[in-house]
Amino acid sequence: MGTERKVNNRRKFFQTSAALVGGTLLYSLIKPFEALVQDKAEEPKIAKADLPLWGMGVDVEKCVGCGKCAEACKIENMVPKEPFYFRTWVEQYTVKNDGEVKIESPNGGIGGLTQSVPDEDIFKSFMVPKLCNHCTKAPCVQACPVGATFISPEGVVLVDETYCIGCSYCIQACPYGARFMNPITKVADKCTFCYHRIAEGLQPACVEVCPTNARIFGDLRDKKSDLVAFLQENPTQVLKPHLNTHSRVFYNGLSSEVR
Amino acid sequence: MPKVIFRLFFTFVVFVGIFILIQRALTPDSFGDFGHYRANSMNDNKVRASFYKGEAKCTECHQDAFDLKETDVHSGVRCESCHPPQIDATTDCKVNPPIVKGTIEFCAQCHATNPGRLKKGVPQLDFKEHYEKQNCIECHNPHAPWELKEK
Repeated sequence: MGTERKVNNRRKFFQTSAALVGGTLLYSLIKPFEALVQDKAEEPKIAKADLPLWGMGVDVEKCVGCGKCAEACKIENMVPKEPFYFRTWVEQYTVKNDGEVKIESPNGGIGGLTQSVPDEDIFKSFMVPKLCNHCTKAPCVQACPVGATFISPEGVVLVDETYCIGCSYCIQACPYGARFMNPITKVADKCTFCYHRIAEGLQPACVEVCPTNARIFGDLRDKKSDLVAFLQENPTQVLKPHLNTHSRVFYNGLSSEVR
Repeated sequence: MPKVIFRLFFTFVVFVGIFILIQRALTPDSFGDFGHYRANSMNDNKVRASFYKGEAKCTECHQDAFDLKETDVHSGVRCESCHPPQIDATTDCKVNPPIVKGTIEFCAQCHATNPGRLKKGVPQLDFKEHYEKQNCIECHNPHAPWELKEK
């Protein structure tokens, strides 16, 4: 009797398991047809290789620190005027004769950078424009708990303003300090490569106004674009390469002092 | 099947069903189409008028100024570098015309002496020495800086 019960139980166990597994499989088969039941219009899938892959090149050797890019960015993207909200900004690095490095960026460089160190103490001085690096492996995207920040198929890191809960985890996660909490919308804000402009075929506002063409914007997949030519012509670097973020903003003439 | 097991199984199925329904209701449209985000958000980011119109738009009316600029050292400088649009300007630049800046401070943004600019080919001046009281554009035509005006 004992053995019979065991056999019966085993049989039933196998039957239930088979039913469950079969049910799951059947469901997965039916799932693609759910869209028809729900009357959802099937959208054609966009192939990633057909889309552009946006990137930017920054030529540190050409930047004169006039701050027009930071100013244009604020106008174009309606960023608050207070001096601590920036989607892009310019830093002046000064290496003194004693080896000390001074980094300053008064009002993000808007209105033109001025040197505060006396000439005789300066060993080297240069300007570095900074912005969101649009990382391929973005730490901010990994940190977002709700999926409100993401990398679009064109390689632009965007924020979903209606979905962001304003927890500022992404601001802490960004190793480049490129994000800030917008005091008006109360959500995370950042450079979008002027997503509304590049969709129209225009250049981002900072690239448009740069008087020395220190910023080069283009499609990394298009082998004839200005950006690809810039990358082929110059030995470029990314910021903080040891963090493995694989960023898409490339700097030419970057000194080791730049952080 | 014993009644107890059937009830257990039934409640399990009901709870899973409820969970799926709630999840469906709470997930926004287009979430997960391309990844763990709302695909419609890309359109939300796109639909906005640009304030900076680009050089092509400027030359529709101001081809003469553009041609003059291209003849001199400011040839690489885009129109809107010096004529930025007004804040929150509407799409029509004729209703809200771009700002014309012509002060010494404005020229100084690029041309004031700064050791970081030394080797970059941009002329630098000490604005206190170089005509402190006079505005730059009184002598220099900003579109063609080396066409000096007669005083």
